[in-house]
Amino acid sequence: MELALKDIRRHVGKFLATIAGVAMLLAIVLVMNGIYQGNLQDGVWLIDSIDADLWVVERGRGGPFNESSRIPLDTYRSVAATPGVARASPLALYTAQRELGGREQQFTLVGYDVFGGAGGPTRLAEGRGLRVPHYEMVADRKLGLRLGEQVALGSDRYTVVGLTAGAVDSGGNPLVYLSLPDAQKVQFEQDKRAITAGNASNQKRLERAGVTGEAAARLLPLLAAGGSTINAVLVELAPGADGAAVAQHVRDWLYLNVYTTEEERRLMIEGRLSRMSAVLGLFRGLLVIVSIVIIALIVYVLTIEKIRSIATLKLIGAPNALIVRLIVTQALLLTLASFALAWLLREAIAPGFPRTLGFLAHETAITFAVMLAGGVLASLMAVWHALRTPAQLALGG
Amino acid sequence: MAVLEIAGVAQTFGAGEQAVQALKPTTLSVEAGELVALLGPSGSGKSTLLLAISLIQPPTAGRIAVGGRVLFDDGPTGVDARAFRRSQVGFIFQQHNLIPFLTALENVALMLQLNGVGRRESARRAREVMDYLEIGHRAASLPARMSGGEQQRVAIARALANQPALVLADEPTAALDTERGTRVMAMLRRIAREKGSAVITVTHDHRMIEGFDTVYHLEDGRLARVERRPGGDLAPTRVPPDGATR
Repeated sequence: MELALKDIRRHVGKFLATIAGVAMLLAIVLVMNGIYQGNLQDGVWLIDSIDADLWVVERGRGGPFNESSRIPLDTYRSVAATPGVARASPLALYTAQRELGGREQQFTLVGYDVFGGAGGPTRLAEGRGLRVPHYEMVADRKLGLRLGEQVALGSDRYTVVGLTAGAVDSGGNPLVYLSLPDAQKVQFEQDKRAITAGNASNQKRLERAGVTGEAAARLLPLLAAGGSTINAVLVELAPGADGAAVAQHVRDWLYLNVYTTEEERRLMIEGRLSRMSAVLGLFRGLLVIVSIVIIALIVYVLTIEKIRSIATLKLIGAPNALIVRLIVTQALLLTLASFALAWLLREAIAPGFPRTLGFLAHETAITFAVMLAGGVLASLMAVWHALRTPAQLALGG
Repeated sequence: MAVLEIAGVAQTFGAGEQAVQALKPTTLSVEAGELVALLGPSGSGKSTLLLAISLIQPPTAGRIAVGGRVLFDDGPTGVDARAFRRSQVGFIFQQHNLIPFLTALENVALMLQLNGVGRRESARRAREVMDYLEIGHRAASLPARMSGGEQQRVAIARALANQPALVLADEPTAALDTERGTRVMAMLRRIAREKGSAVITVTHDHRMIEGFDTVYHLEDGRLARVERRPGGDLAPTRVPPDGATR
């Protein structure tokens, strides 16, 4: 006779409610797993997706993702002229928060050379890539834009010609692809009052330096904030070229920093992602511990509720194995059913979740194994209590 | 033939100056089919004796034999106490102590299944015992949905399911009114007569022992006197200082 099932049958409502509660907790654990992996995936996705042989950034900087890197636009031509370089493409990256699709949204602008330059959109789900140098954009679906929609950014309007699915920056923000000039304009464009204020300030500096009149008027446009900077140059090596030699050449002659894609990944993982991953990992660990403790307490309480019955079983001669099986079976059923429901909840939550969730089958399996082992271990406390219960308890003391 | 033989069984709790002898050396034997009452006030050692006989709380001294098999002889003899209880002893409790999440039939069948009887056969035999005790119509009921008297009859059915040599009943009528209590006692008499089990009942209610073969009076942990009633006539017998009655 399977006493555990008989007991559950008798208290089916209570057992289901308990499963639902534990399942919600386990669903959080599973979603946290997804956030953890999603954070790692998002963190390096753009680097992987661009897949340049070399990344050229500002001297002494760890850019363009972990630290700002600003280099003159013309630099990419100098890099292209370096021996061993097949193609050098300018890239602009800029995180913005603007009104898009009727609400304030944070996103990252990616400006690239639409005429054969690297860094263009991947994961294109609908529409097409950019074909003309102005007023077209490819946006990620997360922004809620539709194909053909006109979007205002700064003083210009852009037509959405393509939609990506899952194109995000290292922080999980959706990407917007523009042509390089458009991206620079959105990034550096100032309104008229700011330009006037800037000119006035520069004029005073020139006057203090003794430059006045026409000479000052000629110099003012040169001092205005320029929009001809980029954040990185993406290098594609010529077949057979030595990457290390090319990198050294760029460092020595152009005074810039050079990273391989692998080095960029490492910079990202050991830099920006490491602290976030540690925090998420800590929360994940704590949640697993809390879940096991809660399962342990539930199993313990379920056992305490039956303690008189357990004493009766001992008194009428039931072997300990029967009592242990009663408790452990319930602990296992509770854990298994809760995990199954948690998995279903996770599947229901994932599509609408605001951040990328990365689910790895082996990680889910490990979590399951840990919870299962935890559930069994947790039940040992109840088993220990049950086995210590004197049979005389059934007699009323 | 003696089903139960105990000799010099004593129970002491604690040690040294704080030791309390809850049961002084007691000797008695019970025959198959004999109906025995352990009568005495609260704290007189009745339940202690019952716990000692069933090895739930083994005595500190003495010898216990059931069906000629020595279970305890001034110490454990290697007999598995629980195996002994599930195969040789039927328990009836004051509070019925049915497993609340099992139906009446399952409660009775459990006793058989613990002894290795298959599921179908145990259900058949459980039903048979329940019918014998006129409680078969409540087979599918959960204990919580039965009256106290019905629960007690199911508890008796459970105690009898395995046809034990020894039935131990601890205040089986305490939770029942007089009418139901009398019926339960009548049922125990019937079991002793028809099934041949030795029935030992702990009670403090003199009204309930009508028709019992032997009544042991316990006072302050010792067997004070024994009354035997061959043919229903209670005849007082003096108990020697060592507590021996036979």
